[in-house]
Amino acid sequence: MSASQAVFAGWMEIPNSAVSDEARTQAEHTRAEEATLAALVSQYAGTLYRVAFSVLRNAADAEDAVQEAFMRVLRHRDTLDEVRDQRVWLIRIVWNIVLDRKRRAKTRPETDDVSELARVLPSTGLSAEEIASAAEHHAHVLACVEKLPANERRVLMLSAFEELSSVEIAAVLGITESSVRSRLFRARNLMAGLLNHARSLR
Amino acid sequence: MRDSGQGSADPACGEFQMKHPTQNEFGNGADAGTSEAEQTLRLIAHLPAPEGLEDRVQAGLRSRQMDAAPGARILAWPALRPASGWMRTAAAAAIVFVVAGGGWGVYTHVQPQQSAKVIVMPPRVVSPGGFSNASAMHVPNTLNGPTIPNPAATSAAQPKVVAMDAKGGARPGAKPGAKKAVRRAHAVKPGNQATPQAAAQAPK
Repeated sequence: MSASQAVFAGWMEIPNSAVSDEARTQAEHTRAEEATLAALVSQYAGTLYRVAFSVLRNAADAEDAVQEAFMRVLRHRDTLDEVRDQRVWLIRIVWNIVLDRKRRAKTRPETDDVSELARVLPSTGLSAEEIASAAEHHAHVLACVEKLPANERRVLMLSAFEELSSVEIAAVLGITESSVRSRLFRARNLMAGLLNHARSLR
Repeated sequence: MRDSGQGSADPACGEFQMKHPTQNEFGNGADAGTSEAEQTLRLIAHLPAPEGLEDRVQAGLRSRQMDAAPGARILAWPALRPASGWMRTAAAAAIVFVVAGGGWGVYTHVQPQQSAKVIVMPPRVVSPGGFSNASAMHVPNTLNGPTIPNPAATSAAQPKVVAMDAKGGARPGAKPGAKKAVRRAHAVKPGNQATPQAAAQAPK
């Protein structure tokens, strides 16, 4: 073997232990990330779905939004350890996704909210007529909610989730807690006025 | 679940928390309206997630992970990975060497032909207006000036004419051959044109 061949062989020689250690560490890290992600999915998928559905009011769209939210988490899985409150962080992600989708969906024809509500709302022990009447009522209330200014509407919708405190709503919306309170106050006043006005017209 | 510690610890916050309709701080009308809205929103917020949502999300994530796996390559050289730094540098240097060497070889073997005829074009004069004359040369269309015939030649030709007159060539009734001779004698060459004075003298 010539000198150059020996040098080349020396360059090519890679210790097997280094490769295996690195591969093992990499595999463990990947496995840990997968486990963390699986835990997040099983813990928060339902919550994220409900948040998404409250805005989109379409089951398929809401599920897509949840999927997209976890895809984003997968993309940023390296920073998962730095997240202080994963629940609020996830809700914020899905909230931004659904708002974006809602904005884009304005150009499309709106889905029939009444029939969709009649299909998804619980109807145990109700007759078909009562189900239709309840669905119509809820659709009317939701139409009034849609008439609220965007800031007030968002606070009101998030406040319907019992698992979210005002601090967490503020974190999701990126505003202060006092803003959440004042907006909620205004939203309730406006909502009462809208519904009373509608009732007086009937 | 709800973070009850944060929600109930702050009394000011509790004032605006979602409450049961009977506990609402607004009047009767507001109470009814707000309770309707909140009931509807709560109803929607408590809808159960569809069956198998978690499994579908997990499956989607798994398939995405498979697609984005770093080891999923057509050519995987795991043995070279730890030494990829210097190997990459060496490979780049080798590529640069081959490209530069090939370029030098081509340059030294293929020389441009120097024996090509060089046509010297006259310098183009660009007029100030931006138009060119397309290298056309202007030749002034002028007439040649009057030329004085050589006095020696004139004096030499004059006796000949006179002699011909003496023979009667110019006279009316003379022979046609004599007339031709006279005309030939007075014929004017292009470069030696006769002056008006000489032309006036000629018929006499």
